Amino acid sequence: MKDKVLIANRGEIALRIMRACRDLGLDYVVVYTEADEQSEHVQRNIDSESNQRRAWRVASYTDPNDILAVADHTKCTAIHPGYGFFSEDYRFARRVTVRDQPLTFIGPKWEVIKDLGDKINTKRVANQLGIPTIPGTDGPIYNEIDAEEISRRLLEDQAERGISQPSVLVKAAAGGGGMGIEEVHEIEQFRRVYRQVQNYAKRQFGDPGVLIEQCLRDYNHLEVQLLCSRHGERVHFGTRNCTIQSTGRQKRLEAAPGFDTSCFPYEFDAPAVLDEIVENSLKLASHVRYDNVGTWEWIVSRSGQPYLLEVNTRIQVENDVSARISYLNGQHPNLIREQIRLALGDKLGYSQSDIEFRGTSIELRIVAEDPQRGFAPWIGTISQFSFPRHEWSAVYTHVPTDRPYAIPSDYDPNLALALVWGDSMAEAKQRARRFLDEMVIEGHNSSGAPINTNLQYLADNMDRLLTF
Amino acid sequence: MQEHDIDFDAILGRYRADPFAYRKVRTAHTGRLRCKVREGDEVVGPSGKFRHIPGTLLYELERERNLKRITSFINGQVAMVRSDLEGSFVEAGEHVLTIRHPLKKREIVEDILRQVLTPYTAPERAKYFFSLDLQSSIDKYGQRSVSIKPGDEILTMSLMKRDTPVYYDGEPGIIHSVYFKPGVSVDQGEPLFGICPKDRLPLIEKIITRVKAEWE
Repeated sequence: MKDKVLIANRGEIALRIMRACRDLGLDYVVVYTEADEQSEHVQRNIDSESNQRRAWRVASYTDPNDILAVADHTKCTAIHPGYGFFSEDYRFARRVTVRDQPLTFIGPKWEVIKDLGDKINTKRVANQLGIPTIPGTDGPIYNEIDAEEISRRLLEDQAERGISQPSVLVKAAAGGGGMGIEEVHEIEQFRRVYRQVQNYAKRQFGDPGVLIEQCLRDYNHLEVQLLCSRHGERVHFGTRNCTIQSTGRQKRLEAAPGFDTSCFPYEFDAPAVLDEIVENSLKLASHVRYDNVGTWEWIVSRSGQPYLLEVNTRIQVENDVSARISYLNGQHPNLIREQIRLALGDKLGYSQSDIEFRGTSIELRIVAEDPQRGFAPWIGTISQFSFPRHEWSAVYTHVPTDRPYAIPSDYDPNLALALVWGDSMAEAKQRARRFLDEMVIEGHNSSGAPINTNLQYLADNMDRLLTF
Repeated sequence: MQEHDIDFDAILGRYRADPFAYRKVRTAHTGRLRCKVREGDEVVGPSGKFRHIPGTLLYELERERNLKRITSFINGQVAMVRSDLEGSFVEAGEHVLTIRHPLKKREIVEDILRQVLTPYTAPERAKYFFSLDLQSSIDKYGQRSVSIKPGDEILTMSLMKRDTPVYYDGEPGIIHSVYFKPGVSVDQGEPLFGICPKDRLPLIEKIITRVKAEWE
């Protein structure tokens, strides 16, 4: 029987998964919530006259019973969680795969998600393998007094080492994607911030545990893209740089490769550091028998010291930045397609030596937000949305271009991902600026105020890419 | 709003003409639907000191090892049932039946108060929580004993995974009625709670007394 995939996600990733399924000749079903009824991933699949109905409304993207009920009713054999929602939830992955009618979870095995999805455990395993991690706690803290004492020690230690602005990060232990992270500079601020993060963690993730880490300054945030099969094969698709983030630590501009010596006079041997983080990522992947697509996140200090931050056991928003500089048999790989294929048990069919890296790429995350007001999300209706089409660009979006679209306030106001590439980083940056100039986004909110977007912010920060 | 602005006879007349609320019951989740009531059936809402005794079973949704039993949240009579959906796989949010609910004195008072109290409306469609300090005051003293004034941090607005503090900018008063549940999305412009300025408390008391006296 041919596999059929339930896409348990929304927005542009749902559209990209649909396309990957079509490429592989697989049928699919999408789920959606009431708030997303006008989204492209729903509108393209609602056809009341067809018996082959592909879009089903559920109470929430995070209701496992609803998702499994639709999967069973529509005779799906696999579930693709996309990113966010269930993508790193090992309990969901286990439930999908261990049941009377098991389905394939398109991601790593649940045991692997459990091992690496937990930031604390990842840190412990990395330390065992001699992989450097950021100084701080290696377990969730639930006690305010203990947490304050740990923070006091970390702040004093930084002051003793002559660090000019010592600070610590208070993070929701169960969090991810940059959410639930606050910085503390003075120990007097600690208890207020601790309570704030703890409350947030309890509400959003159901676990009030927090992590305390030294806050590194003047660093670059790098990622290594890995792809592993269930047959023990492992390859990487290079590195990317995700340093430019909004105040909420949400990535906004990404580039591949992770460093480019034409952009900045690094104080260290940049190619050697990139090799080191790739090697250490593969080492950890091999140790835990990683078996699908995954991203190893790193912090690299100005002096070139890398620290492993965490592992994202899922496909990431920015996967295509890496794919655009990678060539497999002369073609850019489609990592979502590869992810599905490998999850369904296929072999990789190639090795690292078959992958060639050429050129540079940039991803622009186009968001309805106000960078001047702390990146406050904008809610309203988009009346015009159009983007240029070039042979050196690609756009992924769930926003319709032929009708008005009300941004649902239940989710992030992400509008589109734009990929731009070139032979050199200078060329890619120049093209990215031109692309932004040619984009048209118009809209108003309920009080008539015009839409806020981050287009200007992206253009203004282009030169910061790959620098310290 | 002053006492002379309120036409008690007209308001009460409206409720006398049609003393019912018509509540649509929608499917809370997906699943195969089995209705357990018919048109004309009387249904009851949850009861008991802690509302721990569930109301009349309205419908079931069959799913894998997880039968969902939906019970009535109010008293009344089943006014309409979508019999065409019986036995079929339904999506979340499907209108299944309507309950005709006879309004009680307390509900009529609340309805009228909604028109009289100063509403504090949701600035955006979001989930709302009282601020930590305000919540602890409400827990300690009860909502009708808690005063707020402009500049007070009153709410946390949870929107698009961000928590934003909301500061009060209306006239000072006490929080008389709360209309939202923590963690449940509220549409933009919907009232979150009703504020009663201290000088208007006698008017509110009078409305309550009058409805109680005149409504049988």
